[in-house]
Amino acid sequence: MSEVTVTPPETEAPPTPAPRRPRNWLKIAGVTLFLVLLVLFPVFTGTDVAYLKAGQYVLIGVVGAVGLTMLVGQAGQLSLATPFFLLVGAVSYAVLAGDSGDSGDLVGLGLPPVVAAVGAVVICGLVGLAFAPVSGRLRGIYLGVASLSLVFLGLYLGQSLDMLSGGTSTGRPPPTFAIFDFRFANTEPAPTILGVAVQKQQRLWYLFLVLAIGAYLLARGAVRSRIGRAWRAVRDNEAAATAMGVHVTRVKAGAFTISSAYAGLAGVMTALWLDLVKPDENEFVGTYSITVAIGYLAMVIIGGLGSIPGAVAGAVLVNGLPQLLTLGATEFGWFADARFGGPSPVLISAFVYGVAVVLVVMFEPGGLAAIGRRLAHVRAARPTRGGDRG
Amino acid sequence: MIDRRRRLAALAGGLAAGLVLAACGSTADNASSGGGAGGVKTDKGVTDTTITLGVMTDRTGVFKNLGEALTGGNELWVKDVNAAGGICGRQLALEVVDHGYKADTAKTLYPQLEPKILGITQLVGSPVLAALKQNLIDDNVLTAPASWSSEILNNPNVMMIGTTYDLEIIDGLAYLQQQGLIADGDTIGHIYIDGEYGGNGLRGSKYYASKHNMTVQEAKITSTDNDLANIVTGLKGAGVKAIVLTTTPGQTASAMSNNAALGLNVPVLGNNPTFDPALLQSPAAASLDKLYVAASSAPFSSKTPKAVEVANEYKATYPDKPKNAGAQAGYVESLVWQAVLEKACQNGDLTRAGVQTALKSLTSVTTDDLVAPLDYSIPGAPPTRGVYIAKVDQNAEGGLTEVAPLFTAPDAQGYKAPHQQS
Repeated sequence: MSEVTVTPPETEAPPTPAPRRPRNWLKIAGVTLFLVLLVLFPVFTGTDVAYLKAGQYVLIGVVGAVGLTMLVGQAGQLSLATPFFLLVGAVSYAVLAGDSGDSGDLVGLGLPPVVAAVGAVVICGLVGLAFAPVSGRLRGIYLGVASLSLVFLGLYLGQSLDMLSGGTSTGRPPPTFAIFDFRFANTEPAPTILGVAVQKQQRLWYLFLVLAIGAYLLARGAVRSRIGRAWRAVRDNEAAATAMGVHVTRVKAGAFTISSAYAGLAGVMTALWLDLVKPDENEFVGTYSITVAIGYLAMVIIGGLGSIPGAVAGAVLVNGLPQLLTLGATEFGWFADARFGGPSPVLISAFVYGVAVVLVVMFEPGGLAAIGRRLAHVRAARPTRGGDRG
Repeated sequence: MIDRRRRLAALAGGLAAGLVLAACGSTADNASSGGGAGGVKTDKGVTDTTITLGVMTDRTGVFKNLGEALTGGNELWVKDVNAAGGICGRQLALEVVDHGYKADTAKTLYPQLEPKILGITQLVGSPVLAALKQNLIDDNVLTAPASWSSEILNNPNVMMIGTTYDLEIIDGLAYLQQQGLIADGDTIGHIYIDGEYGGNGLRGSKYYASKHNMTVQEAKITSTDNDLANIVTGLKGAGVKAIVLTTTPGQTASAMSNNAALGLNVPVLGNNPTFDPALLQSPAAASLDKLYVAASSAPFSSKTPKAVEVANEYKATYPDKPKNAGAQAGYVESLVWQAVLEKACQNGDLTRAGVQTALKSLTSVTTDDLVAPLDYSIPGAPPTRGVYIAKVDQNAEGGLTEVAPLFTAPDAQGYKAPHQQS
């Protein structure tokens, strides 16, 4: 795996501002259609909110994976700490927006939910910055292991600081998200889109969609700008980067901060998605466990290290596939004959993305992103260098 | 996609209706409860011919042994009830989903399941229950959880089957004191898994200690710790006169073998989930004889006639399924549902709200002694305070002999559960 992190795929920006390329109308039409489909997704699912729930879960993965791919792929810092920042984000949101609970033994500041969500993201960024002395000194697998320690720290703190986290017994409910007076909950009467009532789950879908698109665009902007160039310079050769005037320590700290803030946002989304903030009971299974850390790493490797669209594709595969298989299993009776100890949706998806990781590392280190680029080039029959870059 | 799904759903619905009609045809003669469609109010999960209950179980995760046995118990009950003519003139059906003990999977499965069911007769996993708490309240879905923590009783939609972990410990310690194994002023050790399960057990020993001037030496572990040697050594140093366990069976084995190996040899009291008959085949088998288990339901090998009947039926129907007390627990979950449904039918209201009303009016549900009589009239209180106390016995079938059937300590009567309202 360290092999992959030291030789990431080609994702460099064009060396000089390229001459203005002709507009790719096909691409614009495709993106527009895709966005329209996403906006209309609640209409397709109708009252069958289960699929909407799965969609929301994919969007959480998108935000987290986009943040991680910037850190691992662009800045070259291997991190397994995503679940820790998910936990910090979720707990921060609950503490900032929450009240003191029925029995009054929880810390809650009662801030407006929007302020609390932004605050949670900022807190995660600052915690990530506090880790900079470590992330600045270590590289590759060493940094990966060091960051993994944060997951254990999160497990311990979540269990011991139960006035913040609600404790492992019951956890605490995160306050309902609201933008001024518009609450992300079921209401009567509810607005409708094409005859489908926009209730809690539909509202959360649109909220998550806006957050995910915002996260995507910000990340793409960062990767294409001076910041991204500095990350790649540090990743490829620290001495050369220093010679070019890049402040290596500061750039490394910045990358970790930004990635942590992204994971924090995904944590806030997780809390809203689960309607619950509850620290895990052990480090292996749970919402903030090592399994989740590996899942996020799989997303960015499958997608292609450093590629923002690749991270999105990885999130769809890793977070979406188990959910869809599980729903299909109930709806169409898949796996019904192989119940006890047989293949289950969760097991099969773990194999699918495990195999995907192996195949990517062996045959296409650029991941799904590189495959996508190649397909685009075949279609265009001429190389547009860097055309589909994140 | 929607069209296809609808068509599939219609097809499945048609098939199900056909099957149900066929089933009705064969059992119509001995349908006793009568009423049929006429005069009974219904909403979700109940048609003129069928009452559907949900099962959210674990068939592929860490609790798949328990989940399979519980589901087997549920299914046996459905078979028995349908053979006797159903409830309220309707046949029973289960809608089973597998969440693999993952809260995120369950969160997605729930909205798919919810419109099809009246209530839930089995829900495995405290993380799952915690994540679904608000959904169950919003949709008013009455749920029998496979979790016995009194912390979850603040959810009005939870129908506890049997007593809770805290009361198991209170009753168990009272039994040990009655037998002269511990005395007022003693120090007792409590090894518990941090989480809903362990936290609730600890609440029981703290309460009992406060009543009897005892000191509780707490030892917190996680569910993945397997070697408890240093913890038992620490408890020995603290001079404990008894050890309480709220752990997994594997951890019980470690605690018991260290209790013997270190020469501590104090009596050990465990909650229901601490013992598994498989421990008798483990290297710790020889050191298990000091273990007392306090459980709200009878052990798999219990001599209670109904328990024997369920165990035999289960072994005959599911020769391949794991054999553990989950079979009776699953059966009893559904028996309580049966009492609720029959009451709701009498009231002429099989809606979700009607089921809630029926539950709250039940003050003594009997289950042929599979669990103590259950009283659901006090919100937030465990429905019973009695436990079966059993001791590990190599020669007994299933490894446990009952030493005190349905034992309720005076201290347990005075105990106020965390969310108890009166």
